[in-house]
Amino acid sequence: MTDAKRNKEKSGEISRRAFLGTSAGAAAASLLGKSEGAAAQTAPPAVRATLPGQSAEAADRDIGNARPPVAVRAVRRPGSDLMVQVLRDLEIEYVAANPAASFEGLQESIINYGDTPNKMPEFISALHEESSVDMAHGYAKAEGRPMAVLLHGTLGLMHSSMAIYQAYQYQTPILLIAGRDDTNFLRSQSANDIAGIVRSITKWDAHPRTLAGALDAIQEGYRQAITPPCGPALVVLDTELQKEEAGDMQVPAYVPPQITGISTGEVRAVAKALVAARNPRIAVGKLRTARGVSDAVELAELVGASTSTRATLVPMSFPQRHPLCGPGSDTDYDYTLGLETGGIQAAIIGPHRRTLEGRDVTGIGYGFIREPPTPLWGPYAPPKPSHNDMHADAEASLPAIIAEVHKIMSSSMSNAVAVRSKQHAAANHEAAVAALKKALEDRRRGWHGSPISLARLYAELWILIKDEDWCLASPTQFSSGHNRVLWDHNKPYSHLGMHGAGGIGYCIGASTGAALAAKHRDRIVINIQCDGDLNMVPGALWTAAHYRLPMLVVMHNNRAWHQELMYAQYMAGVRGRGGDRAHIGTTLRDPFISYAKMGEAYGVESEGPISDPSKLFAALKRGVDTVKQGRPYLIDVLTQPR
Amino acid sequence: MKTLNLILVLIFMQQARAQDLGGNAEEGERLYYDFACYSCHGYNATMRVPLVGDASGIMNSEQLFLTYLRLRADQNPVNPKNSMPNYAVSTLSDEQAVDIYAYLRSLNDDPPELADNPVMQEMLDAAKARGKGNEK
Repeated sequence: MTDAKRNKEKSGEISRRAFLGTSAGAAAASLLGKSEGAAAQTAPPAVRATLPGQSAEAADRDIGNARPPVAVRAVRRPGSDLMVQVLRDLEIEYVAANPAASFEGLQESIINYGDTPNKMPEFISALHEESSVDMAHGYAKAEGRPMAVLLHGTLGLMHSSMAIYQAYQYQTPILLIAGRDDTNFLRSQSANDIAGIVRSITKWDAHPRTLAGALDAIQEGYRQAITPPCGPALVVLDTELQKEEAGDMQVPAYVPPQITGISTGEVRAVAKALVAARNPRIAVGKLRTARGVSDAVELAELVGASTSTRATLVPMSFPQRHPLCGPGSDTDYDYTLGLETGGIQAAIIGPHRRTLEGRDVTGIGYGFIREPPTPLWGPYAPPKPSHNDMHADAEASLPAIIAEVHKIMSSSMSNAVAVRSKQHAAANHEAAVAALKKALEDRRRGWHGSPISLARLYAELWILIKDEDWCLASPTQFSSGHNRVLWDHNKPYSHLGMHGAGGIGYCIGASTGAALAAKHRDRIVINIQCDGDLNMVPGALWTAAHYRLPMLVVMHNNRAWHQELMYAQYMAGVRGRGGDRAHIGTTLRDPFISYAKMGEAYGVESEGPISDPSKLFAALKRGVDTVKQGRPYLIDVLTQPR
Repeated sequence: MKTLNLILVLIFMQQARAQDLGGNAEEGERLYYDFACYSCHGYNATMRVPLVGDASGIMNSEQLFLTYLRLRADQNPVNPKNSMPNYAVSTLSDEQAVDIYAYLRSLNDDPPELADNPVMQEMLDAAKARGKGNEK
C-alpha cells in the first residue's frame, strides 16, 4: 500500500476498490432477505459521507445487483427522423458536419432513419466546420442547388463563420442547421440567440420552438436559400425538438418558391426587339442553375445572337466555345440584352444581395465594410444601374421570352437567323483560334524553367483532361488564371470561380464539395491548390480520401503568401527601406513544407515535390488516371510565384 | 515627367554598353532572391514581367538598368499597385544593382517554338478542328 493510500484511509476517505468490497458485504446481506434500501443503508457511514451523490440504485448497479431495465423505447418516432425526411424530400444529397453534442439526435437519424439510412442525405465527416461550409459552397456552385451543413451552436458556428461569409458574398445557396443544447450540456457552448452570430452574413434564419415549426423552418430555409438573391440560410434546432416524440405528426409537403421573372409586357418587348434586330447580342452573366444556361443557349440559337460569357470566371454562364460565343461576324450590335449583367438596350437583373441591406446589423454583411461595396474585379460587382434595367430574375424570365420568340418569329426570319448564325460561328471560330495562338506564344517563356511555369502546368494538364467531364473548382487568380484562355469552359460547372471574399482556406474545402457533387456523376474535379490555402484547413484531404472523391490536387507551391510578399516588398520600397526583409512573415521557408507527406498523412495518394518540368506531364497523367478511378491524388509542384 | 524619363532613358541607351562595370553574377543571384525580385519577374526572370534575354528594354545595359531603378525612387504611390517597387541607392547600392544585372544577363531562356512544342501544338490543332455546334 502506498503512503498516499494509507493516509487516505486513515483520514476516513475510502478508495473505490475498498468501497466496492464493503458494498459487496452489504449486497450479501441483501441476498439474505434484506430490502435493497436496507442493504444500501448498511454501508458504513463513512461511505455515505464521502460519496454524497451515490444513490442506493447506483450502489446496487456497481455491485451487479441490478435488474434488467424494462424494455421500453423512450421515443418511438423521434422528431429528428421527421427532420431527415424533410431533407430527403428536398433531395439534399449530403450533410457535412463535424460531430457535436447539440445535434446528436439529428445525426443519429441521418445515419439510421428509414429504409435507406445515410442516403439522401449522406452524412459527410468534415474535420473542421469551415471545411463543412466550404464543401457546401463548392457543391452548390457546381450543382446550382444546396447541400446542408450541421453546425454546433455556438462553437461550430463560430468556426464556420468565414466560410458562411464567403458563401453569402457569392450568393451561394446553403442550408445551414445549427444544433442548440441549452439544458444538458455546457452552457458556455450555448446562447439565447445563436443565429445572431451570423445574422449579418446569412440571408435568413429561424429558431423554431416546436417540432412542427422546425419542419416548416427547414423547408423555408431551403426556399430562402434558393430564391434570388440566393445565399446561406440558417435554422437553429434545439436538442429537445430533435429528441421529442413526434407521435403521428406528418411531414408537410414542400412547396417550391415562386421566383418572379419579368412582366408579360416586358417579355413581349424583349422578344420583339430580339426578333426585329438586324444583329442582336446577348450578354450572359452568372445564372442560377444549369437549366438557366440551357435556356440562354436556346434563346441565343433561336434568334441567332452572338453572345458574351463569364464562364471563365464564374459557374452557370454561357458555354465559352459555343459557336455563337464571341464577338460574332459583326460587332455593330443594334440590340444587346443582358442576362444578369449589363446590356446596352436592356438588362434583366435579378435581386442582388444589396436588396437585403436592411438585414445587416453590423455593417459587415449586406451593407459591406466600405464603399465601393465590392471590388471592381469581383464576380458580383453589380452592373451600373441603367434606365433599361428590368429588376427580375433572368433565369425565371427566359422560358417566357423563348415562348414569345417562337410565337412571333416567321419562317423568313428563321432563315435569316440561320445565315447569321453561320457567319457568327465562322468569325468566332477564327477569333478563338487567333486568341489561343497569341496566348500560347505569350506562354512559351520559361517553358523549360525550374521552378515550373504555371502556364506549362495549365497547358499540360489541359491535354490530359480536355476529353473528360471536368470541373475546375479552385480559384485561379493566384496561379495567373491560365485556364481562361487555354481551356474550354463549356459546362455550367466548368469553373467555380472565386472564393467569395478572397478568404484563404476556401479552395480545398470547396474543391472537396465539388468532388462530392462529381462522385456519382462520372466527373472529375481539378484543384490548382495554393499552398497557403491548404495550410488553413488541410483536414479536408481526409474527407476526400475517406469518401473516395475524384479530386486531383495540383499544388501551386510557391512557398509563400505571395500576394502579401509583394505588398510588403512594395511598401518597404515606398518607405525607402528596401525589400530584402519582405520575406519576413510572408514566406513558407525554413522548413519547407512537404505537401506530398501531408497528403499521405491524410490518406491521399501523393507525390512530389516536382521541380523538373520534364517530369510534370507524367505525374499529372498518374494523377488524372487515379482520379478517374475514383480516388483523390495530390501532386506537389514547385511553381513560379505567379 | 514621363517625357523627361524617356529622354533620360534614351540618353543612357546611347552611352550604355560601353560603360558596363561588370557585376558579380553569383552575388547577383543571391541579391535577386533576397530582394524578392523573383516575386514579379519569376525565379528565372521569365515570368510576368520578363527580364531575360531581350524581353525588356531596361536590360540593354547596366547603366540603363541602374537608371530605371533610380528613376522610380520616391515616385511610388503609397497604395500598392503591384508595380515596380522603389529601390533608392540607400537600400540597394549601385554595386549590388550591377550584380543583379550581371545575374540577369547570365540567364538564358530558350523555349521551343510553338510548332516544336507538342503540347501547345495539340491545343492549337484541337481548337482549329473544333466544328460548329459540337461544343454545346
